[in-house]
Amino acid sequence: MSDLAIRALNLSKRFCIEKRTPRYATREFLEDAMRAPFRRFSFFVRQAIPNKNGQQAKNDKFIWALKDVSFEVKHGEVVGIIGPNGAGKSVLLKILSRVTKPTEGYAEIHGKVGSMLEVGTGFHPELTGKENIYLSGAVLGMKKAEINRKFDEIVAFSEVEQFLDTPVKHYSSGMQGRLAFAVAAHLEPDILFIDEVLAVEDAAFQEKCLGKIKEVLREGRTVLLVSHNMNTIESLCDQAILLSKGKIVFNGDTHEVVSQYLAKNYQ
Amino acid sequence: MNIQNKIANWTKLDSVGDLLVPAVDRLVTIIQPPKGWVPLELRGLWEYRDLLYLFVWRDLKLRYKQTMVGASWAIIQPFIAMVVLSIFFGKLIKVPSEGIPYPIFAYTALVPWMYFVNALTQSSNSVVGNYTLITRVYFPRLVIPITTVVTGLLDFAIAFAILIGMMLFYGIVPTAAIWTLPFFIMLTIATALGLGLWLAALNVEYRDVRFILPFLTQIWFFITPVAYPSSLVPEPWRAIYSLNPMVGVIEGFRWALLGKAQPPSVVLVISVIAVIGLLIGGLYFFRYKEGTFADVI
Repeated sequence: MSDLAIRALNLSKRFCIEKRTPRYATREFLEDAMRAPFRRFSFFVRQAIPNKNGQQAKNDKFIWALKDVSFEVKHGEVVGIIGPNGAGKSVLLKILSRVTKPTEGYAEIHGKVGSMLEVGTGFHPELTGKENIYLSGAVLGMKKAEINRKFDEIVAFSEVEQFLDTPVKHYSSGMQGRLAFAVAAHLEPDILFIDEVLAVEDAAFQEKCLGKIKEVLREGRTVLLVSHNMNTIESLCDQAILLSKGKIVFNGDTHEVVSQYLAKNYQ
Repeated sequence: MNIQNKIANWTKLDSVGDLLVPAVDRLVTIIQPPKGWVPLELRGLWEYRDLLYLFVWRDLKLRYKQTMVGASWAIIQPFIAMVVLSIFFGKLIKVPSEGIPYPIFAYTALVPWMYFVNALTQSSNSVVGNYTLITRVYFPRLVIPITTVVTGLLDFAIAFAILIGMMLFYGIVPTAAIWTLPFFIMLTIATALGLGLWLAALNVEYRDVRFILPFLTQIWFFITPVAYPSSLVPEPWRAIYSLNPMVGVIEGFRWALLGKAQPPSVVLVISVIAVIGLLIGGLYFFRYKEGTFADVI
């Protein structure tokens, strides 16, 4: 019996690429509402009045950002998600972290989820570093007491001690990134979703972040990691999923998947 | 039915092969496409009370940042409104004020009214204003509009302190009815939140809300007895008039604090029922729309 962390079944997400203008949408809605009372008589009228409700309007153009993605992840596994831009990696993480809903499919997640989908989520430029630690921590799902407990650790990790009382808008982007990562890295979820968070850091801090992630992994967390950096993927992940055009192309051993990806030259 | 069949039913797969089995003690999150009515999940909201607290604290910190007079705005706004109303309605038009000096008659109404307008405006714009959070991280979205109606209470408290000062100045001693005041405050909050939820959710898709709001509150001011007593409204119209929950609120404030207006009656019952309907409807509508926020915003 294995210990399931994430199960995704046929997850699909459809996006509208050519959006109806709200005015058109409203008109359609009103039209439909006015037709509705007559629809029940269409049996007599014989000439069926089309019901647009629930169906796609003709003028809409859709794209499947994710189509029939199924996979399973065991507890304690670290899975890399790779693929070219627009492959659906971020959408997948957004669906799993409940930011957006799938159009079709089903997924179940066993355990407390933490996500680092974008650096500095919840930061407010006018507030100080200290205040932003609390705010960002709470946004990521931490309790206030939990942040209190880890506050010193977070500050030490972020290396911005002297600027704690300075509004974050005066921080360099590197400093903001460090602070944001520090907060997120001190989440204690069972399952962690990470999306390309190491992109803005300098080499030294990246090294430190990788160290922190490895530490998190040693504690037996489950991690789903999106990255364009194959070195990161290969050094951290046991398994990888290659996505392309919203579909899973390969799912398996990291080295195999990475070499497939590089060979096919998706980039 | 075993898990295999269940999952095969959920999806279009015929068989799903060997499945991993989760440990039983963990929190389970099910992710599915939205369909039909969404439960309110108030317990999930309670789990995020710390976030609510920090959002309120953030908004309070930011509210008067880079202003010259800061929180004095909470006093200046209703006070100047009172002066203007006293001059035009009280002195020039000579609107009756039920034997109460007109300035305090108006100010007692302006305190809840200003809170209502602010809370309604802020909550209606709250979801759109927090789009960076909405598109990046999960938390119960209801936290956002609730934050705004809580934040507004600070301004309310400041303006209320001035009201107490004015009562002392005019030598008005409240009757025992003052104990009903918390109820009327709750009613104001519920009205602002109830409508705010509708507008906040609609605002995500239709930014028309932003244009409707100033217009709406302006008209609403006239159909609410802020500048005049509701006794001016002819009897046959009372029932319809009191469908506006702010009628019950303002009448209640005057009754509870100044003790002179008529005690609340059927008017209030109608108002309360209207608010409960508005709030429950708003909560469900917001939850229903919430699934698409991140995509539409």
